[in-house]
Amino acid sequence: MGGAGANAGDHHQAERPLRPDEFFGEATPGKVGMWTFLISDALMFGGLLLTYGILRGGADLWRPPDQPPLGINFTAGLTFLLICSSVTMVLAYAAMVDGDRKKTVGFLLLTALGGILFLCGQYHEYFGIWHPGLTRQGLDFGSSAYASTFYVTTSFHGAHVLSGVVILLIAAFVTWRGRTDVHDIEVVGLFWHFVDLVWILVFTLIYLIPE
Amino acid sequence: MSHGVGHPGHVNRKQYWVIWLYLLLLTVVEVGLFYVPGIPRGLMIAALFALAIAKAALVGLFFMHLKHETRVLKWSVAIPLATPVVYAAVLIAEASWRLL
Repeated sequence: MGGAGANAGDHHQAERPLRPDEFFGEATPGKVGMWTFLISDALMFGGLLLTYGILRGGADLWRPPDQPPLGINFTAGLTFLLICSSVTMVLAYAAMVDGDRKKTVGFLLLTALGGILFLCGQYHEYFGIWHPGLTRQGLDFGSSAYASTFYVTTSFHGAHVLSGVVILLIAAFVTWRGRTDVHDIEVVGLFWHFVDLVWILVFTLIYLIPE
Repeated sequence: MSHGVGHPGHVNRKQYWVIWLYLLLLTVVEVGLFYVPGIPRGLMIAALFALAIAKAALVGLFFMHLKHETRVLKWSVAIPLATPVVYAAVLIAEASWRLL
């Protein structure tokens, strides 16, 4: 950035150092990098979901009678929570485009709160807070393909929510300190929306496919 | 890296809420389908797949702004994401042929 301020009237140079790319247009290298990461991450989820599909498709009886079914209503609530947190994320981005850092920080924290509530919900689903969780109802990891694919896929997604929350909190802090720009917030948003997008697929495939 | 203003962006707050409403409605339809008795299993699974892909596409196109990206970036994302779907389709076709 050194010397950019020397030319009068050239102060936009520091904000938009890149010319539009022939292939990627206005997309910054950070954004293209995040998309590249998300594609590889999506293929990992694709592997898990295909494994689930192959095992389930080849099973005569998917859920052993002594193991509990998955709770649809509760996880539908978790789905709603993630969808709402995606909206607060785009509102954080919108606030950043307006140059309103305070509002951006507020929406980022709200988005992180959505993620934290989701994680609490998942903890409740596994271990139980106000009634016995799946682990107490006989859904033991390794006891059936039904149990194992469920835990592996949903916990892998949960790990993404956890890292998303950490990234959001860091982004909120750095934004509060005044050291982020719109592109940073957009890239953080890409990761968060991806977590939401994957959950939409996981919810449908793992929870809703009828027996 | 220190300036937040001046970027045009693709902000459309009203559209964000419309997408939120669509996602909510499609989720209600999905969960509703689960509880409606008497739907043939194959039809149900096809409908659930279609609804899930529609929801994922809404998030990708509007929340992740893919709609506003260049053609190259759109295809760079779409083609890799389509490969597991193609693989799944082949597996389903193979399984149904085997079970005939």
